[in-house]
Amino acid sequence: MALAAVPAALLARRVGPGRAAAVGLAIFAGAGLACGLADDLSTLVLARCVQALGGAAAVTAALELLPATVGSERRAATVWAAAGATGAALGPALGGILTELVSWQSIFFLQVPVALIAAVPILSVAKHEAATGVIEPELRRTGRPHLWANLALAMVSAAIAAALFLLVLLLIEGWRLSPITAAIVVSVMPLSALVGTKLTEYVADARSRAAAGAILVSGGLAGLAFLPKATIALTIPPQILVGVGLSLVLSALTETALGGRAPQAIHGGWTISARHAGVVIGLLALTPIFTADIDQQRHDAINAGTAVILDSPVNPLLKLGVAEKVSERLEEEKGKVPTIGPAFEPLPDNPAERAEVEQLKGELQDQLDRGATHAFSTSFILAALLGLIALFPIALSKEVEL
Amino acid sequence: MRGRVLVIGAVVASLLLVGAYLAAGGSSYEPEQIQNPCKPRPWSNPQTLGQIANQFTISALDGAACKLGVSREALTRALATPEARKRFTEKYGIDDEKLAKAIRAGLLRAVDDAEEAGALSPILAVPLRATIRNIPLEEAIELIQNGRKLLSNVEGFLGPAGSIIEQFLP
Repeated sequence: MALAAVPAALLARRVGPGRAAAVGLAIFAGAGLACGLADDLSTLVLARCVQALGGAAAVTAALELLPATVGSERRAATVWAAAGATGAALGPALGGILTELVSWQSIFFLQVPVALIAAVPILSVAKHEAATGVIEPELRRTGRPHLWANLALAMVSAAIAAALFLLVLLLIEGWRLSPITAAIVVSVMPLSALVGTKLTEYVADARSRAAAGAILVSGGLAGLAFLPKATIALTIPPQILVGVGLSLVLSALTETALGGRAPQAIHGGWTISARHAGVVIGLLALTPIFTADIDQQRHDAINAGTAVILDSPVNPLLKLGVAEKVSERLEEEKGKVPTIGPAFEPLPDNPAERAEVEQLKGELQDQLDRGATHAFSTSFILAALLGLIALFPIALSKEVEL
Repeated sequence: MRGRVLVIGAVVASLLLVGAYLAAGGSSYEPEQIQNPCKPRPWSNPQTLGQIANQFTISALDGAACKLGVSREALTRALATPEARKRFTEKYGIDDEKLAKAIRAGLLRAVDDAEEAGALSPILAVPLRATIRNIPLEEAIELIQNGRKLLSNVEGFLGPAGSIIEQFLP
């Protein structure tokens, strides 16, 4: 997507946005179907690459089509930017729900009718372009891509990708929530993004919105880095900050990058490139860090958990049995934080022993949960710093009115 | 003006959140420290035979782990299953004989600790030491293959003498 966005926008200019969007959506739908039917990783990755080509054509061409619908280029830029921000926030939640309720393939199958329905109203535009030929629009080639806005977009996108990706991983791999529960938890972000969209209407100055958004994203990420306990409720305030922040910053920076520049599709393509490049760079930079951290924390938590078992007042025979079962679970769930509940089954009949074992279970679970939570801290802090560093290019960016 | 208010609001909201989480202990996580098994671990004045057996097991694991140069926790997990034991011996380059010797040393330390804590009479400690020293190598390996069996045997040492020990308990 990062590589295809600008060439796709150039193509849209050459063949007409209606035709580019229609063809792009058709490619997106076909490749989505191929993704859903893929039976190995290589096919899935290849189909996703093709899908990105179609998606890039459709998304950039849409920016050229929007002014006719919404009335002005500025309004088009605002709507287009808000749609991008909402999509970024909504994706993980919707994907998690579909994965749990149906299957991961269903995410791609659902895209097929959605893309085809979106293509229907565009067909008339495409037909018109085919009949009349493409009239090269007035080429107000006003300037190069907005360097600072796009740079800030890349940084903020890296931070936001980390927020979404790491939080979902923390919930599923660290705290062992089901994908649907994790999806419901992270749906706080898209809901908060809607609030952020409302704020956009009250503050015209894009640079202030971008700065406030970047600060909120960083604050939310820092909150996730310093979670005092491994409980879902404590993830909600940071998610609200990230959600409101991402809608503010992504829309403001996209508007700034497009402001006073033409053709819109090409500059929109640059913003898409910047955002996706940021996501890739963010994940490339942070994944090895949190992978190493989670390995270390898992090791520490397991040692601490074993110490908790050994030092507990539980009957020695019983606790060595628990240690044995926990070891088995570590083997079964290699590379993950283990689910230790089954290691304590069956609970002893004696009420006093039962209470001791329940307490031991709670202490052990707490050690593992806190270890898993802490394993993500460094990555969340680095992501928060990325968001704060984005304040520099935001400060240097100048908005040009369309 | 509204822009400035928005930025200030964002800063305040972020600082409040981070401050509250830090105040609630968000940065204080430290995994429970693993104690050096070679350092003596005080016996917590065991009152019953079960508590003595518990302390005895901990001391035995500490002693064996100290001898092998690993943590008590790692050794406990290694003793849990034959597969875990195999990975453990491969990782640390330990053969079965060395492991058996370490377990014997651990059991001897447990007897010493029990005697020192006043939980075991010298009259019982002497024959127990002799028994431990004479455990055949195969039997020692069999003991360490199964944590339950290890403890069963530990309790076995105390079991027959349990009624006598109870006379020495407060």
